[in-house]
Amino acid sequence: MTAIYLFNVVSRHNQWLAVRQSTIASNVANANTPGYKALDVDPFEKVLESTRLAMQATRLGHMIDGGAKAAAIEARKSEPWETSHSGNSVSLEQELINAGDVNRAYRLNTGIAKAFHRMLLASAKA
Amino acid sequence: MQDPLQTALRIGASGLEAQSRRLRVVTENLANAQSTGKTPGSDPYTRKVVTFENELDEAMDANVVKVASIERHRSPYRLEHNPGHPAADQNGYVKMPNVDIMAEVADMHEANRSYEANLQVIKQAREMISMTIDMMRNG
Repeated sequence: MTAIYLFNVVSRHNQWLAVRQSTIASNVANANTPGYKALDVDPFEKVLESTRLAMQATRLGHMIDGGAKAAAIEARKSEPWETSHSGNSVSLEQELINAGDVNRAYRLNTGIAKAFHRMLLASAKA
Repeated sequence: MQDPLQTALRIGASGLEAQSRRLRVVTENLANAQSTGKTPGSDPYTRKVVTFENELDEAMDANVVKVASIERHRSPYRLEHNPGHPAADQNGYVKMPNVDIMAEVADMHEANRSYEANLQVIKQAREMISMTIDMMRNG
C-alpha cells in the first residue's frame, strides 16, 4: 500500500494557517502602533517545497513537536495597501480579508481530513 | 513553544486591552473638557494622549501591543474672558482645557474600529480551534 500523505499535508497546512492567523493577530493588534510594519508569512508552497513532505530538517526545530515547527515558518514584510503618516503599514481591511481566507482554508482542510478519516474507517470496518 | 492559535488569542487580547485603555483616556478628556483650575491663573485640565508600542513577547515569540505611556498633550490652553471666574487672572482670562471635542470623538471612533478588528481576529482563531476539536467527533 502506498503511503498516504494527505493527513501530513493537511496538518502541515493547518499549522501554517495557524501561524498566519497569529501573524494577522499581531498586525491587527498593532494597527495603531507608530512605525509598525505589517508582517505576513512565507507562502505555503514555499514552506512545503523547502520541507518536501519527507520533512527534511532545513532549520533547527523542524522535526520536533508542533510548536517548534511553527517557528520555522518565517514572517516577512507584507506588501502594504497603505502606509500612514506615522509609518504604520497595517490595513485593517487587508488583514481581515486575509483572516477570512485563513478561516476558509482551515475549514476546508479539517473537512477533507474528516472525510478521509471516514473513508479509512469504512475500509477498516469492511 | 506556544500553539500559534493560542498566541493569536493572546495577541488579540493585548490589542483589546490597549484599545480600551485608549477609550478610557478619551472618556477622561471628554469628561474634563470644561475642568478649569481653582486659583487665579492656575492651569486647567490638560488633554492626555496614549502612545502605543509593539513589544516582542519572548515567551510567545509574538508581537503584542502595549500602551507605552499616557502623556499630556502639549497644545496651548484656550483663553476665555470670564472675569468673575475663580480661576480668572488679573486681566479676566480663564485658561480652559486644550481638549478638542472633535479630535476626541474621532479618536474614539478609531479606537472602536480597532477594537472590533481585534475582536474579529479572536473570534476566527476560536473558530479554528473548535474546528480542530470537531475533527475528533466522528461525523
